[in-house]
Amino acid sequence: MKHPILLLVAAVALLPFVVRPVIATEIWIFAIFGLGLNLLLGYTGLLSFGQSTFFGSAAYVAGWLLKHYAINVFLALGIGVAVGAASAALVGYLCVQRSGLYFIMLTFALNQLFYFIAYQWTSVTGGEDGMHGVGRPAVFGIDFKDPLNYYVFISLLFLLSLWVMKRIVESPLGKILQAIRENEVRAEAVGYNVPRFKLLAFVIGGAFSGLAGVLYAMLFGIVPLEAIGFVFSGNVLFATLIGGSGSLYGPIIGSFVFIWLSESVSVIWARWPLLLGLAFVIVVLFFRGGVVEAWARLWSWWMRWRSSRQTS
Amino acid sequence: MSKLSRRDILKMGVGAAAGLGFPAIIRAQQKELVILGIWPATGAFSDVGPILDRGMRMALEERDMKIQGRPVKYIVRDSATQAGAATRRVEEAVDGEGAKFIIGPWSSGVALAVSEVAKRKKVFHYFSGGTEDISGSRCHRYSFQWAASPYTAAKTVVDNFMKANPKAKRWHLLVADYAFGWSVEKYIKEVGKTHGIEFVGADRHPLGEREFSNYVQKAAANKPDVVAMINFGLDAVSGAREIFNFGVTPKIPLIMTWSSGVEELVQLTPEIRDNIWVGSNFYYTADTPVAKNFVKNYQAKFGNPPGYAPSAAYGMTRMMLHAFDKAKSVEVQDVIRALEGIEVNDLVGRMRVDAKTHQTLRPYFFMRCKPKSAMKHPTDFADIIATGDTPLPAEYAACKDIGSF
Amino acid sequence: MLYALMGLGLSLITGVLNIPNFAHGALFAVGAYLLVTTVDVVGNFWLALVLAPVGVALMGLLIEYAGIRRLYAAGHDYQLLFTFGLALIISEGIIVIWGPVGFSHLPPPILRGGLDLGFTFYPKYRLFVMVVAGLLVLLTWLFLEKTRYGAIMRAGIENKEMVSLLGIDIHKLFTVAFALGAYLAGIAGALTAPIRGINPNMGVDMLGIAFVVVALGGLGNLLGAIAAGLLIGVAQAIVAAYWTEASTAVIFAVMAAVLLVRPQGLFGIR
Repeated sequence: MKHPILLLVAAVALLPFVVRPVIATEIWIFAIFGLGLNLLLGYTGLLSFGQSTFFGSAAYVAGWLLKHYAINVFLALGIGVAVGAASAALVGYLCVQRSGLYFIMLTFALNQLFYFIAYQWTSVTGGEDGMHGVGRPAVFGIDFKDPLNYYVFISLLFLLSLWVMKRIVESPLGKILQAIRENEVRAEAVGYNVPRFKLLAFVIGGAFSGLAGVLYAMLFGIVPLEAIGFVFSGNVLFATLIGGSGSLYGPIIGSFVFIWLSESVSVIWARWPLLLGLAFVIVVLFFRGGVVEAWARLWSWWMRWRSSRQTS
Repeated sequence: MSKLSRRDILKMGVGAAAGLGFPAIIRAQQKELVILGIWPATGAFSDVGPILDRGMRMALEERDMKIQGRPVKYIVRDSATQAGAATRRVEEAVDGEGAKFIIGPWSSGVALAVSEVAKRKKVFHYFSGGTEDISGSRCHRYSFQWAASPYTAAKTVVDNFMKANPKAKRWHLLVADYAFGWSVEKYIKEVGKTHGIEFVGADRHPLGEREFSNYVQKAAANKPDVVAMINFGLDAVSGAREIFNFGVTPKIPLIMTWSSGVEELVQLTPEIRDNIWVGSNFYYTADTPVAKNFVKNYQAKFGNPPGYAPSAAYGMTRMMLHAFDKAKSVEVQDVIRALEGIEVNDLVGRMRVDAKTHQTLRPYFFMRCKPKSAMKHPTDFADIIATGDTPLPAEYAACKDIGSF
Repeated sequence: MLYALMGLGLSLITGVLNIPNFAHGALFAVGAYLLVTTVDVVGNFWLALVLAPVGVALMGLLIEYAGIRRLYAAGHDYQLLFTFGLALIISEGIIVIWGPVGFSHLPPPILRGGLDLGFTFYPKYRLFVMVVAGLLVLLTWLFLEKTRYGAIMRAGIENKEMVSLLGIDIHKLFTVAFALGAYLAGIAGALTAPIRGINPNMGVDMLGIAFVVVALGGLGNLLGAIAAGLLIGVAQAIVAAYWTEASTAVIFAVMAAVLLVRPQGLFGIR
């Protein structure tokens, strides 16, 4: 598929006319979240089952500041990125020494710990009720309370994030991370400090997650407790896998599919999680590379069919 | 066979998308009145979602799905008991479907989020639940509360229990660690003071707790005269079950202070229910014409009697319809003004809406569960022994200014 | 003791098959539902207690054969996705079949009521569960430690290649291990039904605890899982006495703390 970027820009431009701006905004926020995760999952080979730790922490901190001090939007974003990165540095530092199932479980356990702290610290986080009253301050006189204005803001940030992530994965750093994914021992042997690079991947992934977290808080005006829960961590993981973790664009497609499906199908059938489960099973059994792979296979089949028709 | 061009595929895609209901493409017809029921179909309260829908639908069908000559479009969305998802879906319903009247959700935490959306979008919102904040610290002109105030509940329960058991002075409380739990606990202690009650213990459990054995043993160790639970749903059911398993009931009475009535009691067995006293926003043997009619129709249609959930949905919809009637208009602000200060004899008896706080002032029920031998039919769980409707005293009211439109 | 049972089953699966089985909680729930349905059909609690877990084990066999078998070479992410998808299918399936409303199921009449132990009144049924779960754990341990097949299974945890090089059909081993793990989850669910009641989400809570037990005990260390299960149960009771709201959450804090200090769990080998 040539020029995926053009297609993406077109999608960004058209989406709010196909779905409500609120849903479209959430899709791109979730896509940023997925990009962060995929740096760890797809490129470094680290299955982090606790990304919502960074997402939620950033949302709470920035949300709190927005609520009580009505800080500038860009400051809020910056703080979100910083908190996401910092919490990821902490978690990453504790986790990178482990591997395999231990690693997964540790990220999960730490996620639960952060969740518990958020749950108990009701004076700050609101506990089960969540943190209400997160503002969406205006910037340069543009009122962000208008959903379409906010959408434009988000989509620009999304495209920017995508560009940054693209630069990262195509840079030497990206290559090193992929090398670690392919064969950790060899990467170490060649002289790379593997734990340090893993930590770096964590921090960058955390920064993206933190950005997504702040944007999410501003979108809904609340930071719900589930934003730091394991279900959220699971959602971004599954969305990315469904989209295809082997590609830069996988998480974006996954975000789109996941949110769009959960919105449209939930209206039709209350038991739609069953279909979601089925989708997971089918993806794993037949389309490991996710939608990206399915699309690629479909495309190549189509190409072959077309060329066979032409020759006959 | 013609070649499928890329354009055709794109067209099919858009068609499929429209078919799957992208709301932006399909708009509500001009004259239709769109009313949203935001109910939990998945997640923690997925058992309650369908019956809430039933109650609301019944109330609307009583009017042949028409309000002031306009057809009513009743849409349902899944709150999933997640504030984020619920907010998203409510906004989508308001922006995309043109919904201007919202009833629901079920969970207090989600309700606060939905209430914010109602305030932002300036749409009507009616909620029934334990949180005091909707008619308290977070009150605003667009949201209303149908359930009785936790104070009313506490007073009804404590006063009437003490009337029947004047010697039960040692109370142990088991409270859900949640804002509504703390509110009820506070009021029970307040009212308890006037009866000379000694609170020998008060333990809090997290929402969704399933392992109650430790709490029960602690409660038993305090040797109380009565154990009062302040929780709801599955927590209440699990707690009641364990209290029975550990032999606390039926020797010592158990009070389920804020019960859903039928929905919770049906999940227990007659043995477990022995010596349980229940406070609830609705019980189906309520003696009002509206309730009798509702219960009869509900039972005929669905087989079991309605509990608090469907009655709340039904009751809120009816109150909203009363407001429509009084306002003679379908504009949100007119309906709100009509609802403020309204006084009707409806589902639970005499019901008023306090214009200053948007709290519905109405009776709260207190029941005693029956032993198996006294049950005349499988759902004859309890008898109503009293009702109470003392409103929250002004000094506790946290809603200082309901605000403007 | 129930925690030990769940942990044991999960440890077996994660140890032998090396996959994160997120469907373990759902299997637990199925065990509970099957028990109630079987009692309705057969009319006898004891018979149902024997049959229901077998049903779950059969389900486990089917799952392993149809799906998991294909995933041994796939990464943990896909195994996770698959078992999680399975969990969704099963729990929503439960709602489709049995409806979303929960119910209670009393223990058989002989086991109702409790024993006055002097310092506390303890339900007879809970004691029964402790004994039965304890027996099951013991039996499973004996099977794994003393029988030849058990030894093969343990060897499979240690070194899969070696086992298959020795000519043993590794695939059959995996199938049996998964079925056994499913059986343990199923019987844990069946035993729990009269205590905690039955509702569609009952598997989710148990899943979290099962993973904590396995992580604490050390992946693949079956004795460790048993010990960790008991430890967690005791810890929960103790914490509940002082800081009741935290008693369930503290489990995860403990897990995080232990894993940080000893990533192989309390009893793990590595």
